[in-house]
Amino acid sequence: MAADLNELKGMIEAALPGSSAEVIDETGTGDHLRAEVSAPQFEGKSRIDQHRLVKAAVRERFEDGTIHALTIKILD
Amino acid sequence: MADQELTDRVKELIAENQVLLFMKGTPSAPRCGFSMRTVQVLDQMGVEYGAIDVLPALQPLREVTSEISDWETFPQLYVNGELLGGCDIVEEMFENGELAEALGVEQPAAAEPAEAEAPASDEPYKSPPMQIEGS
Repeated sequence: MAADLNELKGMIEAALPGSSAEVIDETGTGDHLRAEVSAPQFEGKSRIDQHRLVKAAVRERFEDGTIHALTIKILD
Repeated sequence: MADQELTDRVKELIAENQVLLFMKGTPSAPRCGFSMRTVQVLDQMGVEYGAIDVLPALQPLREVTSEISDWETFPQLYVNGELLGGCDIVEEMFENGELAEALGVEQPAAAEPAEAEAPASDEPYKSPPMQIEGS
C-alpha cells in the first residue's frame, strides 16, 4: 500500500497548527519518504523533540505499515 | 509492554556510558547504512563510545526504547543519558557543530564546509561491542 503524500502532509499540518509540510517520495516506491516541516511548535525545542512531534503526527501510518522510513528535515 | 529486566539493563547502560550508540551491527561491521553513517560521524569526533548491536534482540529493544525515549528506530545515539537522535539528526548536528558541543569536543577540522574527505589519522578508541540477550 503506497502512502498518500497529501494525507501525510495534512496529518502533520493538522497536528501542528500553523505548520507547513512537504512530503516527498524519495525512492518512488511510496514507503521511503521525506518530510520537510516548519512549525511554530518547534521553537525552543531540541532536534529530537522536533522530530518526535512530526513522527507522532504520522504514527498511525507507521503502525499500519504504510510507511517504513521517514526522513525528517526541520526547516528553521 | 517492554520487558522490565531488559528496560532496567538498557537504562543502566545509558547511565553508565557517556556516549552510547545503539546500532545494527558493530562499529567495525555495521549491518545497516544508517548505522554505518552514524559510526562514521562518531569516529570523526574522536570520542570514546559504547556500541550495542541491537540485532540479536531487535523487537524487545524497540519496545524498550519506545517506552523510555519515545523512539523506535535504530541507530540511536545517547549522550549524557539523553537521546540525541538517529542518523539524520546526528549528521545534521555534526555539520552545524552542535554535536561537538554536545560531546564537549572541538569540531574536527574535516567537518568544515566544503572540505574534502579527510579521515582522522588516529583511530579513536572504541569499547568492544556489548551484547544484549533477548529474553
